[in-house]
Amino acid sequence: MRYMVGVDVGGTFTDITMIDSVTGNVNNHKLPSTPEDPSIAIMKGIEELLALHNVPNDQVTYLAHGTTVATNAIIERKGAKTALIVTKGFKDLLEIGRQTRPSLYDLFKEKPEPVISGDIRYEVEERLYANGSVRTPINKDQLKEIVTDIKRRGITSIAVCFLFSFKNIMHEKIALEEIGRLYPSAYVSASHEIVPEFREYPRLSTTVMNAYLGPVMKKYMENFRSSVKKSNIPVEPYITQSNGGIISIQESVINPIKTALSGPAAGVVAASYIAELTKYNNLITFDMGGTSADFSLIENGNPKISMEREIEGFPARVPMLDIHTYGAGGGSIAWLDDGGALKVGPESAGAIPGPVAYGRGGTLPTVTDANVVLGRLNPNGILNGKMDLDVNASKKAIKEHICDKTNLSLIEAASGILSVVNANMARGVRLISVEKGYSPSEFALVSFGGGGGLHCGSLAKELNISTVIVPPSPGTFSSMGLLVTDIKSDYVRTELLEPKEQNLNVIIEHFKEMMLEGTTLLEAENIEEDKRNFICTIDIRFKGQNYELSVPIHINELNNRDIDFIVERFHVAHEKTYGYSNKLAKVEFVNYRLTACGNLPKVPLNKGNKGEGEIVISKSKREVYFSEVEEPGYYETDIFQRSELVTGDKINGPAIVDQLDSTILILPNQQAIVDPYQNLIIKVNGEVKPDGKQY
Amino acid sequence: MENNISPITLEIMGNLILSVAEEMGVTLVKTAYSTNIKERKDASTAVFDMKGRMIAQAEHVPMHLGSMLSVVTEVLKKFPISSIKEGDMFITNDPYTGGGTHLPDITMVEPVFYNGEITAFVANIAHHSDIGGKVPGSTSSDANSIFQEGIRIPLVKICKNGSIVNETMEFILNNTRTPEERKGDLYAQISCNKAGTKRMRDVINKYGKYKFSTYTDGLINYAENLMRMGIKKLPDGEYSFEDYLDDDGVELNKPVPIKVNIIIENNRAIVDFTGTSPQVKGPLNLVLSGTLTTVFYCFKALAGQSIFSNEGIYRAIEVVAPDNSIVNCSPPAPVGVRIDAAQRIADVVFGALAKAAPDRVIAACNSSVTSAIFSGVNPETDKYFVYLETIAGGSGAHKNNDGLSGVQVHMTNTSNLPIEALEREYPIMVESYNFAPDSGGPGLYRGGLGLKRQFRMLGDNLLFTGLGERHVFSPWGIAGGKNGSSGSFWLKRANSEIKKLNSKISDIELDKEDQITIFTPGAGGYGNPLFRDVEKVFQDVKEGKVSVASARDDYGVILTDDVKEVDSEATTRVRDERCS
Repeated sequence: MRYMVGVDVGGTFTDITMIDSVTGNVNNHKLPSTPEDPSIAIMKGIEELLALHNVPNDQVTYLAHGTTVATNAIIERKGAKTALIVTKGFKDLLEIGRQTRPSLYDLFKEKPEPVISGDIRYEVEERLYANGSVRTPINKDQLKEIVTDIKRRGITSIAVCFLFSFKNIMHEKIALEEIGRLYPSAYVSASHEIVPEFREYPRLSTTVMNAYLGPVMKKYMENFRSSVKKSNIPVEPYITQSNGGIISIQESVINPIKTALSGPAAGVVAASYIAELTKYNNLITFDMGGTSADFSLIENGNPKISMEREIEGFPARVPMLDIHTYGAGGGSIAWLDDGGALKVGPESAGAIPGPVAYGRGGTLPTVTDANVVLGRLNPNGILNGKMDLDVNASKKAIKEHICDKTNLSLIEAASGILSVVNANMARGVRLISVEKGYSPSEFALVSFGGGGGLHCGSLAKELNISTVIVPPSPGTFSSMGLLVTDIKSDYVRTELLEPKEQNLNVIIEHFKEMMLEGTTLLEAENIEEDKRNFICTIDIRFKGQNYELSVPIHINELNNRDIDFIVERFHVAHEKTYGYSNKLAKVEFVNYRLTACGNLPKVPLNKGNKGEGEIVISKSKREVYFSEVEEPGYYETDIFQRSELVTGDKINGPAIVDQLDSTILILPNQQAIVDPYQNLIIKVNGEVKPDGKQY
Repeated sequence: MENNISPITLEIMGNLILSVAEEMGVTLVKTAYSTNIKERKDASTAVFDMKGRMIAQAEHVPMHLGSMLSVVTEVLKKFPISSIKEGDMFITNDPYTGGGTHLPDITMVEPVFYNGEITAFVANIAHHSDIGGKVPGSTSSDANSIFQEGIRIPLVKICKNGSIVNETMEFILNNTRTPEERKGDLYAQISCNKAGTKRMRDVINKYGKYKFSTYTDGLINYAENLMRMGIKKLPDGEYSFEDYLDDDGVELNKPVPIKVNIIIENNRAIVDFTGTSPQVKGPLNLVLSGTLTTVFYCFKALAGQSIFSNEGIYRAIEVVAPDNSIVNCSPPAPVGVRIDAAQRIADVVFGALAKAAPDRVIAACNSSVTSAIFSGVNPETDKYFVYLETIAGGSGAHKNNDGLSGVQVHMTNTSNLPIEALEREYPIMVESYNFAPDSGGPGLYRGGLGLKRQFRMLGDNLLFTGLGERHVFSPWGIAGGKNGSSGSFWLKRANSEIKKLNSKISDIELDKEDQITIFTPGAGGYGNPLFRDVEKVFQDVKEGKVSVASARDDYGVILTDDVKEVDSEATTRVRDERCS
């Protein structure tokens, strides 16, 4: 292993990070994305980065990339034409879903249109009882007609989902065989293979999206793989999944749905690596870009996982990092509503036309314009001076759209915009912390993305968070995550069972089966035995309730017949999550989950130079307005270049740290220090105390 | 905007107070015991100022929008403010004295003390799955007095000095079929208010008492301004509309008229229900707050969904509801199934406003809460069960698009129980859950489709109770759109002919292999169906949403004999003929 390369493809930019595994040196590169074929920018960027550092292509030993192909295919409705085969009587279930309307008060709010329209949803005679036994055998003649018709219509992908197939896979198997025989070139997803889980609608929805994405993903991956080969990069690339782990291309083609929300996952993985390095084990991640801010929570170094996430309004029952997106970014537009309140977002000026200051045609005042007016962004331009800022245009826009309609001064309006957006984001953090039973004050905030640095200090203050961590390259932090992750594959079985001794063998059997599948996968991924790791959980509920809690278990507990420990753990989890537990009530096991992990080696980061551990003196200063302090006003503010800071350097606020892809604001009375990994650690409530753990 | 109100503080404090209400909601849902509160989220939370005016509410179901409106003023009426001590908490479920709109909804109120003075109140309301009465679940389709619908809790203290008043608690628990579950839910309501008072103290502390009360006034004015701006966008004038409930569940086959006359005058609205049916014998009556709730739902939908649900929005609208009518009933009128009447009120309000601004409203919806209740003994477990399912229907078409199909509308938005969950629990099999063809009202934009849901019994001696509406009076279209289809209940016994059932029917005995089929109402269309895009009509036919006959008769779209193509020539000819 010499050079490891991670590529994160975003809507606007493609970011590439390379680590030299011998020296631990990290290099980054950024270039515009090529949405029509993302692999163009990826390959161009890799070539450029390698050339820049004189690395021969054949020295690359690891390549991982996060792709938005699946996400975009769903958003833009560019998946494959897909047919659906379902149990007779249920062809419209996909469209009915949970039978709720999407908005309580918006009479015109549309429900997302299903990706398979009613004319290509086929019903076949077949029916199982709830216990899995057959009531109506599958009508094979009808099945043949259906498959023949699908083929005749030139539909390239097929989803199959029958009621109770998680209990008995026979009918879905027969359908697969029939498709394989009559239409072998079709891409097929059957629900018992994708998510063999209880509850028909989420299983159906997940299966359908998988089939819809399959052919698109397959085509993209074939392109990508051959481009990698052509460039003489001698590796099989990995793909990021929504669970934060990576997987081979083959697997991602079978289960494309598992990559569908992988976009922001890599950043969270990078943050959990930071947690490991810095020993700040409890983190709230804050990734602010142009249009939105993503938040997630890391407890004891582990990012929270959710099974309940939706993609464009469709449920997807695959484990994903629990990331919440809030409509607050640098491009969020400030406006006055009819009742006279100052609002910020959710409309965003995005990259184009963008904030007024960028001079790309934007006319409405944004959060970035407020930062410009208050002197927080370098008036001489950002991106190392590559992009000019039109301060006067920002002022004019705020004056015209806010001040002229209120009695606010320019400064009041600009700092008001920031107060509102920070309050909005604080609400976003409360959603993932307070509302889930966590207190934000017990967490450190990891701030990244282009806009994080300008807001992290105020946001932390608002939430009583005492420490903020800003990684060395906040703008390319996500691609870093691709270099510090593991191979992960999730499996599930459903069987509703009481936690009784006589059911143990059945449960053990389920786990054995999944472990076998996981082992096969890890073998195929060339993971040595001692690097394999299996995480087992059981989804448990009180009988009669319709929601479960995932309880971690150890397989030995089953072998040792220690079922009571597992039930006890459920009670503890229920108490923590819901504030009570009832030990007299009957509990029920629902789903059995296994995650197969293949641990990949992590390169230790280069610790960089070490300074004197003293307050550094800035080379320049400028006036910046702060309303976040007791006495609002202009403060003479030190300006630093991030590239000139070394480990141990201390900075007293008010200060600004500029770097290529980000600007970091340190408020008056806050202090920052550069840690051994080049992270900037901001102490929100003042002085950095010497911390034995870190130095 | 008043001079002393900053647009910035208004926005930030408003969101902060709303977030208190929302976090109270999270606490309630999280700590509640019953699935009804925990999963269906049939509960809402609110913050009031010291005068008892609602400042912010987090409602999960629109039926709770105005349900708590007068509860704090009722508290202050009964308990002089000087007598209220820190740690007191009040409880009530009596619709006739400010406590919700039917007995299962229990409200709790707690004062927020700051520096020894009451500076605000918090409250929450939650639907309890049983509060006594003649049937399990307390809501019976043929109750003829509120005394058959459960225990009436007057406004009393549930907590004193921060501790639970055991006499009150025991009294309530002794009057429900499910005391353990009730206890869990009542405790959750108490924790919810406690979480609310704690956070409200932080808010008041942050801004100071004076600024807090300046801005609570500001927030009420703010909501009022937004509501008035919304009303101002409607053309001035007088608009009336009338529709009917099929019957009241007790006096069958006797339609119940609901009539409204709306006057829009610059930035205010008068909504007058004079001419509406007197209160009825069956449980479809609304207390005044239920009617207010529904009217405010309609105007909130019209004027902007982001408007704060507070006292202010109510100032812009005057509601006239005759005493002793179905929209302002008096004790002891039964109120259990009041939501069906509320649904019809929403339709008539939109129906009237369609005459003012057809592009701002939607056509009539399925506007019922079609319920199927099965009970009996499960032969597999030998246990008695009650299984209730509410089945959605069509939502009205509008100026932009077709109506939504198979959704809950207006005052409710509860989800279905997964089939794989219910079949495991009960001796019942669902044989079909699809859209009902031709149920959407034809139009330039088609009304949403109703559902066909078919149940087959897998055990003997089971009972079916059905609560339906719009089985007689179908949902109407607007702007030239046609009516959607009405709903119906059908019974097919294993060895006999299929038979139609009444829209409200109790305790039909069923045996193994008997089938109950339910069609829920669709919804009205928007605009002339002859102008509907031909391709859209053809697509609907291909998807089985519209029949070949309806395509021809309603839309003037002629398909070739093999139904594989549109006969363009014939279509143009037919459409031209009919248009002229």
